[in-house]
Amino acid sequence: MTDPAIDIRNLVKRFGSTEALAGIDLSVSRGAFCVLLGPSGCGKSTLLRLLAGLEAPSGGGIRLSGRPVADGRAGVTVAASGRNLGMVFQSYALWPHKTVQGNIVWPLKIAGIPPAQRRARVAAVTRMLGIEALQDRFPGELSGGQQQRVAIARAIAPAPDLLLFDEPLSNLDAQLRVEMRSELLRVHRETGATVVYVTHDQIEALTMATWLVVMRDGRIEQQGPPGALIAEPATPFVSTFLGNPPGNLLLAEPADGGWQVNGVACDGLPVADHAGPVQLFYRPERLTLHDQAGNRRIAGRFLEALPIAGRSIVSADGVDGGSLRRLSAIVDQPPPLAYGDPVFLELPDHPDGVFSMTGERLA
Amino acid sequence: MVVRLGAGGFGAGRLRLSTLPLGTVAWGLVGLLVVVPLANIAIELASADGMQAIRDVFTGRIARNMLWLPLQNTLAIGVVVAVACVALGGLLAWLVTMTDMPLRRTIGFLAAIPFMIPTFSAALSWTVIFGDDRLGPASTGFLHALGVPVPAWLAWGGVPIAAVLIGHLYSICYLMIAAALVLVGRELTDAAEIAGASRWQTLSGILMPVVTPTLVAAGALCFAEAVSSFSAPAILGLPVRFHTLATRAYGAIETGNPERGYVLIATMIIVAAALLAVATLAGRRRRSFATVGGKGGRRIRMTLGPARWPLAIAALAVVLFTTVLPALALLLSSLSAQRGTVFGALTLHYWIGASDPAIAQGQAGILQNPQLVRSFVVTLGIGLATGLVALAAGAVIGAAIHRTQRRWAAAGLRQAAFLPLLVPGIAIGAAFIGFYGAPIGPLPSLYGTPMLIVIAGVAATLPFAVQSVTSALSQISPELEESARVGGAGPLRTWLAVTLPLAFGKLLAGFVLVFVKMVRDLDLVILLYTPQIPLLTVLAFRYASDGFMQFAHAVSVVILVLSVGAHLLANALGRSSQPWLKAPAG
Ligand SMILES: Nc1ncnc2c1ncn2[C@@H]1O[C@H](COP(=O)(O)OP(=O)(O)O)[C@@H](O)[C@H]1O
Ligand SMILES: [Mg+2]
Repeated sequence: MTDPAIDIRNLVKRFGSTEALAGIDLSVSRGAFCVLLGPSGCGKSTLLRLLAGLEAPSGGGIRLSGRPVADGRAGVTVAASGRNLGMVFQSYALWPHKTVQGNIVWPLKIAGIPPAQRRARVAAVTRMLGIEALQDRFPGELSGGQQQRVAIARAIAPAPDLLLFDEPLSNLDAQLRVEMRSELLRVHRETGATVVYVTHDQIEALTMATWLVVMRDGRIEQQGPPGALIAEPATPFVSTFLGNPPGNLLLAEPADGGWQVNGVACDGLPVADHAGPVQLFYRPERLTLHDQAGNRRIAGRFLEALPIAGRSIVSADGVDGGSLRRLSAIVDQPPPLAYGDPVFLELPDHPDGVFSMTGERLA
Repeated sequence: MVVRLGAGGFGAGRLRLSTLPLGTVAWGLVGLLVVVPLANIAIELASADGMQAIRDVFTGRIARNMLWLPLQNTLAIGVVVAVACVALGGLLAWLVTMTDMPLRRTIGFLAAIPFMIPTFSAALSWTVIFGDDRLGPASTGFLHALGVPVPAWLAWGGVPIAAVLIGHLYSICYLMIAAALVLVGRELTDAAEIAGASRWQTLSGILMPVVTPTLVAAGALCFAEAVSSFSAPAILGLPVRFHTLATRAYGAIETGNPERGYVLIATMIIVAAALLAVATLAGRRRRSFATVGGKGGRRIRMTLGPARWPLAIAALAVVLFTTVLPALALLLSSLSAQRGTVFGALTLHYWIGASDPAIAQGQAGILQNPQLVRSFVVTLGIGLATGLVALAAGAVIGAAIHRTQRRWAAAGLRQAAFLPLLVPGIAIGAAFIGFYGAPIGPLPSLYGTPMLIVIAGVAATLPFAVQSVTSALSQISPELEESARVGGAGPLRTWLAVTLPLAFGKLLAGFVLVFVKMVRDLDLVILLYTPQIPLLTVLAFRYASDGFMQFAHAVSVVILVLSVGAHLLANALGRSSQPWLKAPAG
């Protein structure tokens, strides 16, 4: 087998006393569309900048196609320009004093590509992104979506092996975002480059990724194909971060040989022998809505119902404060309830996952 | 520095309440303060005497000495100063904001100070250090006294004038360019790095072009300031008959040839305006790039490697030479018993000594001298009055600009209010003498009254006052006022409870700026003062012309302390003028 396109071992990055990356291990195969997903401040951009060679690691190492490019001891050993990659920034970072064509051609000039080939590349990428007509405009004269296309064209013009995107769609309006998603997938297909794509938007992540990496506080929580992460979240964080609406996480405490969730007795948990409290994960579509108390029925107050694709997402919060914040259930019929009405959510007899209090998956 | 008002949303939803009277009053003020006095110069020039003066000055026997040589000097000084200031200020701005140069905060702080030092004090301090004895022992400088031969070109004339102006104006370039550099998104240079650009390619291919509009604007501003300066050439040029347009205009008006003076002044205005127009046009296509880069992001400073300390020391030398050195030189000179004897006997005579016939023809030390005390009070009074009136006028005009719904009307008003930026101080002085110096209908002549100086000062500082008011107003979102109105507060109550407190910081900063400009100004008042209104700068200038150098230097120290002190106070009260110095060292 050939070397993976990206191979990252125990990568650490510190800024003074903050540890932006706290030991990242990641391997991305050639041609993959790898999405880094996580809340703001979790270190996604930092990881991308280390991959690009814009910053040096504090520890660990990075290999691109088997070739070491940076490590904690030697710093950056192969500079950004030697890594054969292209990058699209959140702000697009188009050079404002250069025309569209000037923006695309400058990196090719710097790379010493002869003029005839340069022209051919510019023609090819502007055609691919449908911006031939904009070549003589300045960035200030383009709409957000057009700037985005120019930034992508500039990044792919040198035909890089690796394309890095840092939240490229977050400055676009909703409609354009949907359009650009498929555009990016097409560019990925046509260039055959390996893509690392940073976002905090799980819709983008789930629709585009072939390999999904969920990050939190400078660490990788879980990685794998998106379907696998949805089906089998490895940590409580992933279980509540992924999915729309997000999954439900409930605290279960041992009581009289059984379990209690928010003051309600629950039988039939698969971790009967566990001594301390655990966290239970339930998918929204498995909760049911009731108007009376009962076995495994959690009392709450109705908050809102959102009709979606012929069903309704119902949200409620727990009555007695406690550990329960917000529960979501997907039901077929919108309930005839108003804000604040009492409601009972019944848990199925088997949870979709059980996590220890420290976050390990127990079942 | 015409700064555009932020976001367009002003007019929306605003009551048109009293727009018309406000606009009328605003136009009336701008008319009386700016348009009419300047138009009056044009009218004078169109008269028979004026046409004769134009012919004399441009083609007559005196043309060469009156116009062409001084014009040549003025242009040479303007170009040299503009180029040097942009280079020096730009380099400092880059070192302070973009590199890991040691001591960069100290250097950045000091680099903003020369702008606060009156050119007039800086020019005097030059003579303290570099003066030679060609004008007699009274003008001997420290170097000469130490036996270091000072070539004539370094002691007097074009080189020292340019040097003093550079030492003053590079500071503005530093502030403008640093502000532009910190706005350039980090990602712009990251993108260049990924493309494989070397440091030099990134600097010359990306960073420089992106801030070019700012470089051009800063250069144009320095050029305009340099060609219109009167103090520096008056102190360093006149003694050796080195003339610029400003000193020639002053000479003509003082010797009873006001029309000739007006011709020269009109030439100065046209030269400065032409350059600013060219600069604006050149910058038009490129627009302002500074804001394009998106969020600034945390800056990764460029490592200077082994050049770190040499560069830091060079930068520190520049800022110390232009701040501490002039102040020290003046102070030391004012304490020297004998002019030109460095480290000789020191005395406090020039500060606090009683009258002694053996020294300086019996002049008492400046703090004993009732004239100085009076002069101090008059200067403060005129500074405060001008500050208040300018701010009030600025508030009316600013509010009118803010509220006028017709864009062209607002733009016209703003342009007219900013016109004095183009007009040298000495020209404003001449215009006011010309118009308000004679009775207008039933109104008496204002000549010889402090009022004339105050209204001329208001006219000269109007751009700054209007700018501080509009920027204060534009900071307050209309929703804030509206929420008070919706809450039931009347317009006056809203204004007192919401608008004024929110705008206070900026207004105060504007007030201090106007105050300081008046306190340290010589250019504007040199034609307007009379012995009844002994301003500090005029006093120092008179002392210097009469050869009482130590007194001149002592007064100059007072002005310098007043000016720098007020600036620093305003900085401390308002928002810092250099936010990039506060950012954590990254
Ligand atoms: N240049 C820097 N200096 C200091 N701290 C930084 C720097 N860049 C990032 N950080 C810190 O590292 C953490 C991760 O930042 P980042 O990678 O930008 O997060 P994300 O892109 O996931 O929002 C944050 O806490 C941020 O404040
Ligand atoms: Mg980020």
